[in-house]
Amino acid sequence: MRRAAVDWRLAAPLGIVYLALFAAPLLLLLGISLHADQDLQQWGLDNWTKFWGDAFYRGVVWDTLRLGVAAVLATSLFAWPLAVFFCNASPRTQKILLFIILLPLLTSVVIRTFAWIVILAREGLVNQVVLALGLSATPLRLLQTETGLILALMQIEMPLMLLPLISVMRGLDPNLLDASRALGAGMWRSFFRVILPLSLPGWIAGATLVFASACTAFISQSVIGGARLVYLPSLIWQQAMVVYDWPFAAVCSVTLLLTVLAGIMMLNWLGRYARTD
Amino acid sequence: MASRRLFLAGMAGALAAPSIARASGSMTAAIYPGTWDEAYREIVAPLLRQRHNVSVAFDPLFAVDQVAKVRAARGVAPFDCFVLDPGPAAAARQANLFEAIDARMITNAGKLPEGMVSADSVTVNAQVVGICYNPKKFPEPPKSWADLFRSPYVERLGLTGFQTTFGTVSLIEMAKAFGGSITNIEPIFAKLREALPKVAAVSAPAALPGLFQQGQIDIMYTNTNNAATLKGRGVDIAFVAPSEGAITFNTTLHIVRGSGNRANAHRYIDVAISAEAQSRLQLSPFNMIPVNKDVQLSPNLDIKSLDELSKMVTHDWNVINPRRAAWIDRFNREITK
Amino acid sequence: MKVASRRRVLGAATLSNSIQTSTSQQLLLNNIVHSYGSARAVDNVTLEVKAGELVALLGPSGCGKTTLLRIVAGFIRQASGQVVIGDRAVDDLPPNLREVGIVFQNYALFPHMTVAENIAYGLVARRASKAEQRARVAEMLSIVRMQGFADRKPRQLSGGQQQRIALARALAVQPRILLLDEPFAALDKNLRLDMQIEIKRLQRQFGLTAILVTHDQEEAMSIADRIAVMNGGRIEQLGTPVAIYDEPATPFVNSFIGSSNILEGIIADGGVRLAVGATLPCKTQHLPQGKPVQVSIRPEQLMLVREAAPDRFPVTLTLSLPIGGQLIHDVAAANGTTLKIATARHPGDTSSLPGIWHCALTPEAKPSIFPLSTP
Repeated sequence: MRRAAVDWRLAAPLGIVYLALFAAPLLLLLGISLHADQDLQQWGLDNWTKFWGDAFYRGVVWDTLRLGVAAVLATSLFAWPLAVFFCNASPRTQKILLFIILLPLLTSVVIRTFAWIVILAREGLVNQVVLALGLSATPLRLLQTETGLILALMQIEMPLMLLPLISVMRGLDPNLLDASRALGAGMWRSFFRVILPLSLPGWIAGATLVFASACTAFISQSVIGGARLVYLPSLIWQQAMVVYDWPFAAVCSVTLLLTVLAGIMMLNWLGRYARTD
Repeated sequence: MASRRLFLAGMAGALAAPSIARASGSMTAAIYPGTWDEAYREIVAPLLRQRHNVSVAFDPLFAVDQVAKVRAARGVAPFDCFVLDPGPAAAARQANLFEAIDARMITNAGKLPEGMVSADSVTVNAQVVGICYNPKKFPEPPKSWADLFRSPYVERLGLTGFQTTFGTVSLIEMAKAFGGSITNIEPIFAKLREALPKVAAVSAPAALPGLFQQGQIDIMYTNTNNAATLKGRGVDIAFVAPSEGAITFNTTLHIVRGSGNRANAHRYIDVAISAEAQSRLQLSPFNMIPVNKDVQLSPNLDIKSLDELSKMVTHDWNVINPRRAAWIDRFNREITK
Repeated sequence: MKVASRRRVLGAATLSNSIQTSTSQQLLLNNIVHSYGSARAVDNVTLEVKAGELVALLGPSGCGKTTLLRIVAGFIRQASGQVVIGDRAVDDLPPNLREVGIVFQNYALFPHMTVAENIAYGLVARRASKAEQRARVAEMLSIVRMQGFADRKPRQLSGGQQQRIALARALAVQPRILLLDEPFAALDKNLRLDMQIEIKRLQRQFGLTAILVTHDQEEAMSIADRIAVMNGGRIEQLGTPVAIYDEPATPFVNSFIGSSNILEGIIADGGVRLAVGATLPCKTQHLPQGKPVQVSIRPEQLMLVREAAPDRFPVTLTLSLPIGGQLIHDVAAANGTTLKIATARHPGDTSSLPGIWHCALTPEAKPSIFPLSTP
């Protein structure tokens, strides 16, 4: 019992900070969302019914979720082969690779995002290559499309997927792959039957980070996606900072929070099936 | 009931706003991030120190953020001076967020054209909104607001919505060009629906200059400051006033209700409109159209004399503000894929 | 070859009636060389393993034995030389087409699969039918005496049980060569002996061709048909356990295998005149008179007697320890050299009497003589 008391006291400073800086503002946000008018005079669920009763806003929630899922799929597609390559590389190559992987984290999100404008624009890098190779007669439309946005998010979020994946895969017994190969399995079978299931915990951690980060990537969404792709973060900004409708912005914020939480819980639920031992 | 609102707003404000220490001989002014921030730090702040030994700290905030912050602060002014476009200024006035301005303390008041100094505002800069285009791509620029929706211009047009002052007033003028009015902008929504599949981009206002620079768009509606800034970076860009007339609106300074530095705030405003500050603010890379009549206009500006301003189109933001939220919402729905 | 091998695995023949060995199960290593950077890990190794034979690669860590094993399995591509399995060079085949089974020190069972799924893994990779998989899994489980464990996960098994499953998994696909990479190292001592017997039993019963990599000489002695003692990337000596023990070819092999007493001396009078003061009559391998040599004598090839003789030298008995059926005597010669002598212990005999003893060779003793390089 005495030991439990000591443990509690050790956790108290962080717990209090957490309560004050995290839980309290969240409750405040929830409180604001439960007001019917912009001046926060009357309680009511009006803004909640306005949001969920409107197909447009439900569509925004759906699009935000889809963007998160797409970013997770896109990063996974490239992260797994890269992680396999990384784990088999020499220590020297690993160091260089790690630097390249971490590079997106070392540059400001604004710079990264604007760099993608340069790459994806009508006269940008990709289109110059496409036109020079004669793959298309007219410039491709990449900027302000969901494809372009997912492409950019894939690069921006890649470290969040790669780092947990690599850390789990480095912990795998290299003999497992050898065992699989010696038993007659080719590289693909070995990957899908052994490496993939065993690295799922790392993937789930990475997918959680990428999903949460892509759903809320306000700058990338608005700059690369453009105004025609409306996601929850830009809706929140608009309602809070331009329209000045705080209760409705609070509804959007709480919805975004719940959306991201739902995605994370889905991934956690998936994680229970990924018990590797 | 009011107390609950104040409590919630106050809590939010307390969480958002760091407290600002005030020494004597100092003050805090809100300023737009970016060009305005740079310009005022470089030109106005040293002049204020030199003339009045007052040091000014800047709090870089967009207009709506300034209003939100002051509203949230429950009468404890988080800064002493606003800088606002007409929309947020009208909203702030309605919310009673301004202190009165004592015109006797503004020595340069007489240098400004009639009406630019009011009971609670001093105009510091005029903005002119029209059409910007790439002269290399279009030797023949679009001549009117309506032209923007015709080929070949519409295919290279960058659209932006009602979030900004310049976006809002431009769209109102386009509505007028197609038979609408400030209270009936339905015609522009009809045109937007038609144009959406063709336009080069629909973008957040802040992203427009970047898109123009990268050649994603070749035509946009914006203010002359943006055009001059891009031109200063070597971008092929030219400004043209549409045949219906360019739009102008004023950027104004106000003293925040409850400010404890009213005397210094008056001094700050006075320095900002002084001929010396204004003549330097108009130069590249700041390109701010001066309002002080003593200033010789620089050639990098797209107007020749201050008299042109009085002939340009202006808008009543008391009419716009109550409708703007609905317009923004409508624009979202119309343009979303 | 791939098709043929599949047919062999999927054919009606089960493991238990495929006892006869064939030339397709023999392994030949020709002048294998491999380096890591500038370090030569395998230095020109040539080795033939006959069908149905168990050869141990024995040596200290870093001697190149594991590298050699991985080259055979195909995990490492050797710098030069040839690996021949059956009558075909397999150097260009990836591991999954070499039909080589491997059992690892840490078992390397797939932790996310059940025991049955682990054993069936290679069968699934060879696209065996579900019925065949079931039959083979059941057969393998009974062979390694693990019936009833099919649905367990590896973490629910003890080390010894895991190793049996690893063995079953490797054998399920009827590999032509079975590679054992320190398979007993992670087991405790009692279990180790059980597993050694188990592997020897299976290897005999099914005529498996196997290579055992180990650093434990007792392990190699107990189950290998032949031992290749490796040092510095080379095979120092290849031979039966008895030959290696009795006639070590080099001082390294001598010191690595068993324990022995080293005495210095010079070649003289058809024998070796020892520094401790006796002349041993033994084969001098045509070494010249006066050549300085080391003589290595196993503890059990020495005995203690009371009487002095020219081929005996006096020693002081300091300690006698009864170890199992033996007595180990710790003795010191006059010049300070210490020796160990092992004699059979008679019931009730716990220690020898103190006093002056003379150390003598047993009649069947065959001391090994290694010339010392003269400084």
